[in-house]
Amino acid sequence: MLRVRDVSLSYGGEPVLEGASLAVGDGQFVSLVGPSGSGKSSLLRVIIGLQTPIAGIVECSYRRSEIGILFQDDALLPWKTARENVALGLTLNGMDRRDAVAQADHWLGRLGLAGFEDRYPRRLSGGQRKRVALAQVLARKPKLILMDEPFASLDAIVRARVVADVVALVEQQKISVLLVTHDLEEALSLSDAVYLLSQGPRARITQEYNVPIPRPRDPVRSRLHPSFATLYEKLWSDLSREVGGEHAQPARDDAAEAA
Amino acid sequence: MTLDPRHAWIRQLATLALVLALWEAAGYAGWLNPLFAPPPSRIGSALHDLFSDGRIWPHLEATFTAALGGLILGIIVGIALGVLAALIPFIAELLEPVMTLLNAIPRVVLAPLFVIWLGVGISSKIALSFILVSVLIFFTVFTGIRQVDRRLVERITTLGGGRWALIRHVYLPSVAAWVLGNLKVAVGFAFTGACVGEFVAATRGLGYLLSFAQSTYNAALMFAIILIIMVVVLVIFSLSGRLEKYLMRWT
Repeated sequence: MLRVRDVSLSYGGEPVLEGASLAVGDGQFVSLVGPSGSGKSSLLRVIIGLQTPIAGIVECSYRRSEIGILFQDDALLPWKTARENVALGLTLNGMDRRDAVAQADHWLGRLGLAGFEDRYPRRLSGGQRKRVALAQVLARKPKLILMDEPFASLDAIVRARVVADVVALVEQQKISVLLVTHDLEEALSLSDAVYLLSQGPRARITQEYNVPIPRPRDPVRSRLHPSFATLYEKLWSDLSREVGGEHAQPARDDAAEAA
Repeated sequence: MTLDPRHAWIRQLATLALVLALWEAAGYAGWLNPLFAPPPSRIGSALHDLFSDGRIWPHLEATFTAALGGLILGIIVGIALGVLAALIPFIAELLEPVMTLLNAIPRVVLAPLFVIWLGVGISSKIALSFILVSVLIFFTVFTGIRQVDRRLVERITTLGGGRWALIRHVYLPSVAAWVLGNLKVAVGFAFTGACVGEFVAATRGLGYLLSFAQSTYNAALMFAIILIIMVVVLVIFSLSGRLEKYLMRWT
């Protein structure tokens, strides 16, 4: 269980977040959406511990080693091979090197990277690098994964495949997820709950939407669920109000783009 | 007309042969004073003499020892001080002004001082090579660590790595990349230090031979030694390039 209570954050005296609260239950997939620059990533950095809030608390029932983090940049060490990068996440937590390498190979194979273990990140495509980063996170058997727009840099087809892999694995392993994204469709199709962060400065959580689409989910087909369109319209309308824009319903892709 | 880049070496070699032939012909025709510009055949003869009677080897050994000694010590100390200064602000406060000053002056002016302090033996030459290389490596490492990719630092931190893990998995490999990127410059500096040191005061070494050739107005010997130094540095450049290519195979 992850619970963020009344977190406030400022950068050099400039307020960013004010009293932001959210919760991620065990095995729950939660997304955080909001206008650009509202402080979504900053809130995630507070949860990770990379930023110190001026007020509020972050309660987490998971140990540090049980939390996996996936950023937009895969941030793989360029001088280590795919195998070494994945194994590093394990050896840093005390696993024997031989076991770590075996685990790394297992997870790379599971994510379709068998045969690419000895490649350096520069010799991998964007999608492959993202899978290596994902293997690095999953190999640690996390109970909670924090993601900051991890799929944003991928093209549509690769993105769909990686997202499908992630959903299948987190459902299978019952991993809790907090996903920061600007993509409303992605948020609704993947999540059990979506939080809307208001326009900054002094951004706070203004809405929580429960997504009743059953699991296991196919991220593409879940968009055809009857509740999806209604939720999407509501989320878009609320987000438009936050950024002070038009309420007219744009095409879905335009909406995601504009968000 | 398009030039095939694969045959560039043939064109370069042909041009060199032409220049040497013209130079030789000009000397033969009496257009060049051999006292200042001896023809290539005289330089070749001087080279042959140096190697055939074996007297070049102690000089080569002396210069190599001084240059490589200064290079290795300079790299080790430069990396150590650069890492310490980048990680400990107090050390940076003390070291940065000194290193900036040393970097600002032409460091070869220290050669006579090293001769007074360490004598005419090899120590003063190693010291000059060392000071040239270590300042270069210090700034390479110091500025490099401060500009290390923050995403990699955060990645290791979020994976549960502490300070030692950061040094081992992020800082040291980054440092190695920066140092290797400057290795060729450092090799050039190391040989400059050794040769200048020998030029100032020595009893052996290529710099000493140069000084001897100058004092005896032996331009052919001087050209021969310059040629040897060029070949030696080119060989070491090539070896450094191979080492860099191997160690940086991830790029």
